[in-house]
Amino acid sequence: MSTVETPVDSSLEAPPSALKRLVGLAANQQFILFLVLVALMCFFDFHNTRFFGTGEFTNLLVDFSEAVLIAVAEMYVIVSGGIDLSVGSTIAVSGVVSAYAIQYLETHHFGEFPSLLVGTFACAGVGAAVGTINALLITKARLVPFVATLVTLSMGEGLALVFSKGATVGYDPAAGGWSSTGFWIFRWLTIMVLVLTLVLGIVLHFTRYGRYTFAIGSNPFAARAAGINVNRHVASVYVLSGVLAGLAGMVWYFNTSGGAPQNGIGNELYAIAAVVIGGVSLFGGTGRFTGIIIGVAILTVVQDGLVFINVSTNWNEVVVAGIIALAAIVQSLRPGMKRLT
Amino acid sequence: MTTPTEPILELRDISKSYGSVKALTDVSFKAYAGEVIGLVGDNGAGKSSLIKVISGVHNADAGELIVDGVARHWKSPHDSMMAGIETLYQDSGLAPDLTIGSNIFLGRELEKKGLLGKLGFLDQKSMEARALQELEKVGITVPLSKRTVLQLSGGQRQAVAVGRAAMWAQHVIILDEPTNHLGARQSLEVLKVIRAAKEQGLCVLFISHTLPHVLEVTDRIIVLRLGRVVKDAPTSEFTVESLLGTITGLNT
Repeated sequence: MSTVETPVDSSLEAPPSALKRLVGLAANQQFILFLVLVALMCFFDFHNTRFFGTGEFTNLLVDFSEAVLIAVAEMYVIVSGGIDLSVGSTIAVSGVVSAYAIQYLETHHFGEFPSLLVGTFACAGVGAAVGTINALLITKARLVPFVATLVTLSMGEGLALVFSKGATVGYDPAAGGWSSTGFWIFRWLTIMVLVLTLVLGIVLHFTRYGRYTFAIGSNPFAARAAGINVNRHVASVYVLSGVLAGLAGMVWYFNTSGGAPQNGIGNELYAIAAVVIGGVSLFGGTGRFTGIIIGVAILTVVQDGLVFINVSTNWNEVVVAGIIALAAIVQSLRPGMKRLT
Repeated sequence: MTTPTEPILELRDISKSYGSVKALTDVSFKAYAGEVIGLVGDNGAGKSSLIKVISGVHNADAGELIVDGVARHWKSPHDSMMAGIETLYQDSGLAPDLTIGSNIFLGRELEKKGLLGKLGFLDQKSMEARALQELEKVGITVPLSKRTVLQLSGGQRQAVAVGRAAMWAQHVIILDEPTNHLGARQSLEVLKVIRAAKEQGLCVLFISHTLPHVLEVTDRIIVLRLGRVVKDAPTSEFTVESLLGTITGLNT
């Protein structure tokens, strides 16, 4: 604990003046991120006016919905003081397993909707299984989260290849058709993902479950002393992360009309990038939901926008790297980010 | 304050061994409401073992633990909390990224009324408001309970931690080295909170190596050496020198 005397800044007690409020707004990371997002969209639209067209907006939202669930999952895990590297490969393995289930049911004339519903549960189930393995490795075998989830990352990638024999399982035109209808710029699937995302954000910031997640990430000893069952809560966060990654696998299944073993591979890095860009500390205990939503939006807009201004997709990763570096540097420059040691 | 006749906490012949190491041997003492008791001893004298037995981290091998007239056997630290004993460990403290109000109510959050509350939604406004009130009662004025603990000075942090213990404790507060790592002025803030807790009729067990603090704030001092109580006397009978002598065993 720091022994430096920091006198209470009495200015914080007084009601903020208009100027202070403006300065406060400028220092608000969420607000800066939002400006960056708007600026990026204007930039891409300036170079190609079709960018703001409703058709492209729909595609943007589809890409956003593919990425947002694992980003939110990653946020829960990172806020709790851990990390989950297995979310990307869980998309692959859950999609493949679910594709087999759907294929089986449809060839046995179960009808489109029941088959897809069972497929969704299969995805969530596979995700829950991966999450449970993570939870056991971390809370029982006491592995550090990085190593534990590295194990399941490799396991998921491997099993996806083994199960699918390296090829896309089940081309399912029904799934493609079902997810391409919707309302205005939203597809039904997108709406479902957005609603789930919003619920997760509310749970994180306004409920006991979310509060304990922050508390454990901030100081697990204090959380334990306050009577919180830290191991059980941490385990539940990894299972939640797994389930969300599994559901993301189903979103990929819909969008690619099948379970491919390469679906989502490597996407854990995008999820972590969105979390970093969104201002969540990798040490745990802090972060705002709105931040990572804008983080995911920025990554999605950049990747789609580069295509629109005819920049080779090979540059994607390089540009993303630049954004991550920038966000991390801005974060480290903010005052008051010193941590208790 | 009139001296109550019944002790709020009583230990009878408490013994505890870790393997072949005897940490505590026949430790007995009584503690009364509104009393601040200093628990001192050299490293390895058994202070930590003793507070762990009282707070339910460990179980005693033998002996009786009586709280408010009832013999108790803790299954977990949570049991002792429920029985009105709050413990502030050296290494626990607060969650620095949470607000003061959230820390005060950590593990005991207030929920919203009705269905939202049943779904686990928290009543943050009430918690922030009540946190300020309760902290004021034990003599801590913090500008805004919406601040995170990270924004407080070391002394304020510790004062909030002690204040939280004082707020929730029904009978006993155990403070393990609360003034460790603190500067002189910051320690005074913590000692002030201890006095306020005493005024509220709580029994405070104060564990510290900083003997001047012990002499300043306590009513009675219990000295442990090699797992035994070697002296239990009013603070007025001690000086820093005599206390040091008793701790090290130079005088008895």
